[in-house]
Amino acid sequence: MGDTQQCQPAGSGPASASAAAELAEIQRRQQQVIKAALVPVWFWWVMAAAIVAIGAARDSHDRVVLAITIPLAALTIAVLIIATIPGVRRRVRVHNAVIPAAQAALAIPGLILLVDGVLIPTSAGLAEHGVPHPLTIGYAAGAAMLVIAGPLLNRYFGRLMLTNARQRMTDAPALRRPWLGLLHSDPGDHSADHAGSANNGGPA
Amino acid sequence: MSTAGFDELIHAPKRLEIVSLLAAAQWADFKYIRDELGLSDSALSKQLSTLESAGYVDIRKSFVGKRPRTSASLSKTGRRAFERHVAALQQIIARSGQDADARPADAADRSILGR
Repeated sequence: MGDTQQCQPAGSGPASASAAAELAEIQRRQQQVIKAALVPVWFWWVMAAAIVAIGAARDSHDRVVLAITIPLAALTIAVLIIATIPGVRRRVRVHNAVIPAAQAALAIPGLILLVDGVLIPTSAGLAEHGVPHPLTIGYAAGAAMLVIAGPLLNRYFGRLMLTNARQRMTDAPALRRPWLGLLHSDPGDHSADHAGSANNGGPA
Repeated sequence: MSTAGFDELIHAPKRLEIVSLLAAAQWADFKYIRDELGLSDSALSKQLSTLESAGYVDIRKSFVGKRPRTSASLSKTGRRAFERHVAALQQIIARSGQDADARPADAADRSILGR
């Protein structure tokens, strides 16, 4: 067993500055794990390219193009999705208690609905008005939504996971509105937040 | 949150880094920990062995195809010790804050505590 002592009074243990630095180090390391669990930005771009390729292939009405492009794009999308499953060829797996499972269960179908909600009406509307390449344009619009919303969703999950990790570690109150983080911060860069969490650690 | 308890074993800088990394993880690959912390194989092995002897870390060896794979995870004992250690650090900061209320704090403390 480790050498555990009761918390020492200030002055006899590590100084407060050293304690704060130690807490900062703890949070920095936890951020590293969370960052490794998030999908990279290129993931959304490759997914978007595959979607546009399907739209363009469908517009071509060429059986050879369809036979090659659609299975290839579908395979690309499938491989990318499988690669995001925790534990699949990953070198680290985020702790289950840190994963925002309920939010993910809502947000991922929400993202799919959002992309389809843009892609399908746009393609159908353009086709109805006789615009050339309606599927390419419609799918590109859906892909654009994915490229915009995907990284935002990623950042949202990063922030939620950080909040969960912080809550597990401290008595700090939960971040009430984690979506605010979508607008201005990277989940891997919360050193300023950490100073706040160190402060929240006690009734200082 | 469990009761506070400063843990000398976790307090050591390299072990603190390892335990912090594992605290957010279900498990982590030996190579991942090594690369993230910039440690050599032997240095990491030594620290993991110390933590394993204390019952803080579980080491699992498996095979992915024909390649050996070593992963580490924080045990229940290790997780409890880590939480107690974090609580102890927070108490130190909190007490220092109370002292600071009683007398003027120096500039360094102010900047660290953000007060």
